[in-house]
Amino acid sequence: MLLALSMALSMAPTLTLAATPGAVVTTAQVRAELVAHAPEGLAAGKPVWLGLKLEHKPHWHTYWKNPGDSGLPTTLDWTLPAGVTAGDIEWPTPVKLPIGPLLNYGYEGTLLLPVSLNLPAGFAADTLQIKLRADWLVCKDVCIPEGGDFVLQLPVHAATAGHAALFAAARAALPVWVAGAQASAAVQTDSLQLRVSGLPAAWQGKPLVFFPETSGVIQNAAPVQGAWSGGQWTARVPLDPQRSASPSALPAVLTAPGEAAGLQVNFAVAGAWPVAAPLAPALPSLGNAEVAAVTPAQALPSLGWALLFALAGGMLLNLMPCVFPVLSLKVLGFATQAHGGQRRALLAGGLAYTAGVVVSFVALAGLLLALRAGGEQLGWGFQLQSPAVVAVLAALFTLIGLNLAGVFEFGSVLPSSLTAARLRHPALDSALTGVLAVAVASPCTAPFMGASLGLAVTLPTAQALTVFAALGLGMALPYLAASAWPALARMLPRPGAWMAHFKTLMAFPMFATVVWLVWVLGQQTGIDGAAALLLLLLALAFAAWALGSPALGRQARRGFGVAAIVLMAAALFWAAPSLRQEAVASAKTVDAWQPWSAEKVTQAQAAGQSVFVDFTAAWCVTCQFNKRVTFANAEVRTAFAQHQVLLLRADWTRRDAAISAELARLGRSGVPVYALYSPTATSPRLLSEILSVSEVRSALADLPTRPQ
Amino acid sequence: MKSLLVAALFGFATSVALAAASVGQPAPAFTVVDAGGKTVSLGDFKGKHVVLEWVNPGCPFVQKHYDSANMQGTQKDATSKGVVWLAINSTAPDAGDYKAPAAMAQWMLGQKAAATTTLIDADGKVGKAYGARTTPHMYIVDPQGKLIYAGGIDNKATANPADIASATNHVKVALGETLAGKPVTTASTRPYGCSIKYSSGA
Repeated sequence: MLLALSMALSMAPTLTLAATPGAVVTTAQVRAELVAHAPEGLAAGKPVWLGLKLEHKPHWHTYWKNPGDSGLPTTLDWTLPAGVTAGDIEWPTPVKLPIGPLLNYGYEGTLLLPVSLNLPAGFAADTLQIKLRADWLVCKDVCIPEGGDFVLQLPVHAATAGHAALFAAARAALPVWVAGAQASAAVQTDSLQLRVSGLPAAWQGKPLVFFPETSGVIQNAAPVQGAWSGGQWTARVPLDPQRSASPSALPAVLTAPGEAAGLQVNFAVAGAWPVAAPLAPALPSLGNAEVAAVTPAQALPSLGWALLFALAGGMLLNLMPCVFPVLSLKVLGFATQAHGGQRRALLAGGLAYTAGVVVSFVALAGLLLALRAGGEQLGWGFQLQSPAVVAVLAALFTLIGLNLAGVFEFGSVLPSSLTAARLRHPALDSALTGVLAVAVASPCTAPFMGASLGLAVTLPTAQALTVFAALGLGMALPYLAASAWPALARMLPRPGAWMAHFKTLMAFPMFATVVWLVWVLGQQTGIDGAAALLLLLLALAFAAWALGSPALGRQARRGFGVAAIVLMAAALFWAAPSLRQEAVASAKTVDAWQPWSAEKVTQAQAAGQSVFVDFTAAWCVTCQFNKRVTFANAEVRTAFAQHQVLLLRADWTRRDAAISAELARLGRSGVPVYALYSPTATSPRLLSEILSVSEVRSALADLPTRPQ
Repeated sequence: MKSLLVAALFGFATSVALAAASVGQPAPAFTVVDAGGKTVSLGDFKGKHVVLEWVNPGCPFVQKHYDSANMQGTQKDATSKGVVWLAINSTAPDAGDYKAPAAMAQWMLGQKAAATTTLIDADGKVGKAYGARTTPHMYIVDPQGKLIYAGGIDNKATANPADIASATNHVKVALGETLAGKPVTTASTRPYGCSIKYSSGA
């Protein structure tokens, strides 16, 4: 009965207004008025504001832009003279409106929804007629959809300031942008981990309330427990189990008790949104570790599969050019020991080595996860995004290569006490060899396995660390097997002169790795950086020879040694600045590819053009392979041209938050990723990481034909 | 480890508000009486597709879809293909627009509704188990008892019946796909409508 009455009343304004539209609409729940504020008259560039003033009867409310669990935001539809445009509603800071177990976001009492008005230059008229159709949903325990048509005439040459106080109050209630605030939302299995720093000092330590502007993401009514630590606020917000949006950024308003207006903060979403359990489960076709682990959007392999592939991938790592030389020599050492028969010592060494490898991998992954949780936009391969790390690795590989080539012996360089300690603690020595193995393997894990490991990083913490532990175990397995069953090692040829030749031979893959690292650094810092690194490596080689060559006498070693140290110091002094600076050297778009930006993609789509984005990095070998083989293919280039596809390249060689965020949005956290955006589809089609010419051609053939 | 522990604690805290049926997971089982006093369980319909529609005759958004015959049309379309349609009213007896079982049955009859039956969930247990928030709020359960759709009736979140013609009816599309043996492409959408007036006791 009550409802029927209120429904009838809600119809009334529309009916009466049809006869005499004015600036006020009154219903049983709301008095609505179209108001204006133009203190300097109406002209281009002057402040001109319009607003819908809603006065709610007690306990009635209307809604914010995100209405929460139910409700609808108020909408304004303007009819204005040609050239005059109205902006979007500038929503005042909302409040939480609980109803039973549900929660809405909205307003009670008196509300003004302000909108800025833009006039064209040379606007000439005596009056400006503004027409507005407004619709709002007003609720208490029942909800009533209401609306009204409003008309307002404004004098152009006189000031309109009758509602100055109202507009000033609305402005004071607008959420304030915080310059320099850092905000991230890390996606976890069933929650978002929010982190904000850089909020005003007056806000720090206060209990904050979180209002997301995007609806359908979080459980609105769930209690949020935030905590302050130093200047950083963190909170865990449960995700809606029936989540209907997966945004790449989450604009939100934060409020605190005693603060009239909230703070406007944009949370960068890190990590991939959990995929609802696949509705049509299909096991990935299992080619090799990388390809299988890399199809997350369709069907994430179960943890069991992921562990199995990590184990297999770890074993393959032993064959990589950076690892093979070091480990093969270590195993050759077994041949000597196995023939001599010291099984217990061998096995202990194998186990210690395994422990060293596994712990190092878990530590490296833990560091990555910790940095990501801290809001850093990183993926696997992050190690190689820093020029300093690339330089250190290049130095390490140079030293190992020189050692293998016989230029110097470690024994002559290391203090004798250290050498003795190594002999006394063979298990510790083996464990440290494991750590070294992971260090030398890291430039190979990133380029060859970056995409799959990047995926693992997006798993829940415990699972991610298990995957990395399995990878380490796989890498250590051949060595462990050889130490447990010396019979395996005995299958190797008997020790002899061939071992010395083999050792020298192994120096070459090491130097090849150095060449590649110098190229990566050149991409990051430019030709000066590459030259600086080469000089540093030369000084290092000289020092290694001077201090460690078994052929030099004491006297010569001392003389050359001093010179070498001086030279090293000078080279470091000269080279360090050019290694640190990240030169913007990538202005060489000689080919058809343009640098990527999210705006370019949307602009091209809006113009009806298809877009292909190559997410790549210099240190990613798979990416370089595809670039040189598939993208250089004449058929592919012709097909791109035929379909008038805009080619964009997102270069992740250095850290780039925008690219990392886009990768996360696509459900990835490593490169390569190949995305084809059709002008008619909202989400891109992702192609395989190992890209074939035929796959690109068939994907392009599926594009809608462009109207000519 | 610590983060796992924290997650477990928070998980507990949130289960107090609204339980969490999620798409792709088994739909929560329930047993309630219908408007005619008969006991009905979700398990009775194993092997069939089941649509759950949260309804409250007092809500203008429900009226939008019933007065335009959009909801009845969707019901007829579904039940003619062997789909079971359960309309559920979770409004608490102390709410202004509560309808007693007999009045509810009468209203559905007057609307020429084609639902299989109308369930009375006055204590809100079923609604809370599904996380139902609005009227209407729509769910689809597949023959294996898995939840395959949760969300709105369509994509035009307004109270204006004129918008129905140009809207995409999510339930029709999802049923069409699943009956054709295809996965549901749009499985989660934002429901819109009036808040469900839950009993404060449950």
